[in-house]
Amino acid sequence: MALIESPHSKILENSKNSSEIQGQQKQESLGFIPIVHVNDVYKSFDFKNNRNNNNDSNSNTTTYNLLSGEQQQQLLNSRSSMRASSSYEVLNGIDLKINEGEFVTIVGPSGCGKSTLLNIIAGLDRPDLGSVLIRGATASSNTMSTKRIMIFQEGALFPWLNVQDNVEFGLKIAKVPKEKRRQVADRYIEMVGLSKFAESFVYQLSGGMKQRVAIARALALEPEVLLMDEPFAALDVQTRDLLHEELVGIHKTTGKTILFVTHNINEAILLGDRVIVLSSVLKNIKKEFRIDIPRPRDPETPELYEIKKQILKEFEGDLQIAKRR
Amino acid sequence: MICRLLKEDDNALSTATTIGAAGKSNRRNGSRKIYRIDTTDVANVALFLAIFVGLWQLVTVLELWPKTLFPSPAQVAISIGELIANNSLVIGIGTTLWRLAAGFAISIAVGGMVGLAMVKFQGFGKTMSSFAVGLLTFPSIAWVPFAILLIGFNNFGILFVVVMASVFSVMISTYSAVRNVPPIYIRASKNMGAHGFSLFRHVMIPAATPSLIIGIRQAWSFAWHALIGAEMLITTLYGLGHVLSIGREFNDMSQIIAVMITIFVIGLLFDRIIFLRLEEKVRSRWGLNQHSE
Repeated sequence: MALIESPHSKILENSKNSSEIQGQQKQESLGFIPIVHVNDVYKSFDFKNNRNNNNDSNSNTTTYNLLSGEQQQQLLNSRSSMRASSSYEVLNGIDLKINEGEFVTIVGPSGCGKSTLLNIIAGLDRPDLGSVLIRGATASSNTMSTKRIMIFQEGALFPWLNVQDNVEFGLKIAKVPKEKRRQVADRYIEMVGLSKFAESFVYQLSGGMKQRVAIARALALEPEVLLMDEPFAALDVQTRDLLHEELVGIHKTTGKTILFVTHNINEAILLGDRVIVLSSVLKNIKKEFRIDIPRPRDPETPELYEIKKQILKEFEGDLQIAKRR
Repeated sequence: MICRLLKEDDNALSTATTIGAAGKSNRRNGSRKIYRIDTTDVANVALFLAIFVGLWQLVTVLELWPKTLFPSPAQVAISIGELIANNSLVIGIGTTLWRLAAGFAISIAVGGMVGLAMVKFQGFGKTMSSFAVGLLTFPSIAWVPFAILLIGFNNFGILFVVVMASVFSVMISTYSAVRNVPPIYIRASKNMGAHGFSLFRHVMIPAATPSLIIGIRQAWSFAWHALIGAEMLITTLYGLGHVLSIGREFNDMSQIIAVMITIFVIGLLFDRIIFLRLEEKVRSRWGLNQHSE
């Protein structure tokens, strides 16, 4: 991050909670390696040619760190001139560390790049520059592992399989023997409370049940990180509340690291140990909040209300800048 | 490679059939409808048939045409009885269906294989799809002279025409069905570790099955058209089309109509019993039938 002298990074430094940064540094000096390290990631989409700058940039990513500072600057300049022509910047030097067992929520208005960030972490998309490190090792989409499992807003369950087979899918791909597969799937189907519906097909399930199956399907692969892309956005309030409760329970029992993207501020502050606010103007992390209130939380608590107000203020600030431009 | 692709195609079919088989045990409320014989349906069909045969009888009674040119329903029924008694109908149906099965199987194997290759190699897919669409609209009967000269008056000549009539339909439908698999399924399954062959076998093919079945159903009807046509023109061999042209040679109109009815019934049975059921099973499993319930 310090490689590039941009006004954005300055703002970032200032806005970051200073004790938070110290905490992270202390952890690193003690030899802690974050489970996910988003290392200075840039990404832009080329809308004119209707493709993202995926293929040509792969070599850039690997060689970037070998270049001298001047050459790096040149590369960036050439990129920014290309950017100006027809592409649209989505992520501008995102730097993010997530520790084992943490429940991190990322909140931001639509179009701020939060889904893109999640896709890059999942390995479904490649960064133009920068890299994603999983336990300190570079992760690329070429070495697709089942360590980072994504849960999509629409569930993305397979309609040709019943609930049981959907949950077993990843294990089947991994060639896990049938007996074992069944055992694991049964356990997680029970965890999400759908044992009665193991034989049901996808269309017979409600929206909330579908997302539960998606959660069970992800957990069955025993991922190190669970990536959730607005998973409850399409649900009604009651179902969402119920699923929040269950997700918190699952986080507690399994101790999984969860990265949860949402545009709903309430959802973000109710769930996260850490709430990361993305800015749609800076295309970067604007502010972080650490929330040490035990879950389940009440959104009416004065502390949470205060945080919510601050996040809204950040959004408001973005809006003002966007208007002025 | 060819073997592998062939196998993939088999998998596609077996996926379709397993879906069907599993659908049976897992059937719930609405989807049962398909298999129940509705008494009002039976009554409607009976009424329709009665009116049809009645009108037919009326025309023969009025003697608009001589009896030899326009036989009565009873004459046709007798003719059917005779054809069954001297075994020519049974053997005809047997031979024809055998050819149909062989030709159709070749079409599915080759068409499926090429269709998948078209998905895999984009440049080839683009070129081949316009070529195949051109050949799809090409009248299958126009292949007959070509087949006679190149292959001769034998079973392989007929099979060639049948394959040419249906293979492009299979090809195009495989190509478009696999290409139109919703990207979210592919992303989700890639995220869960699927790639290469497993992505193909466990995601692309099952996801494409509903459209594949529609394509195969269409290909079947093309194959059936071509087969009867070819049998009528390549006359040295036995078959339903051959019995039909014998009727013409001997000016035996009741035999012609008897065979026409047989062809109609076979087509109907195939479509209703095999393809419609297969389609309905897949549709109900996917939950695509709910608007009609």
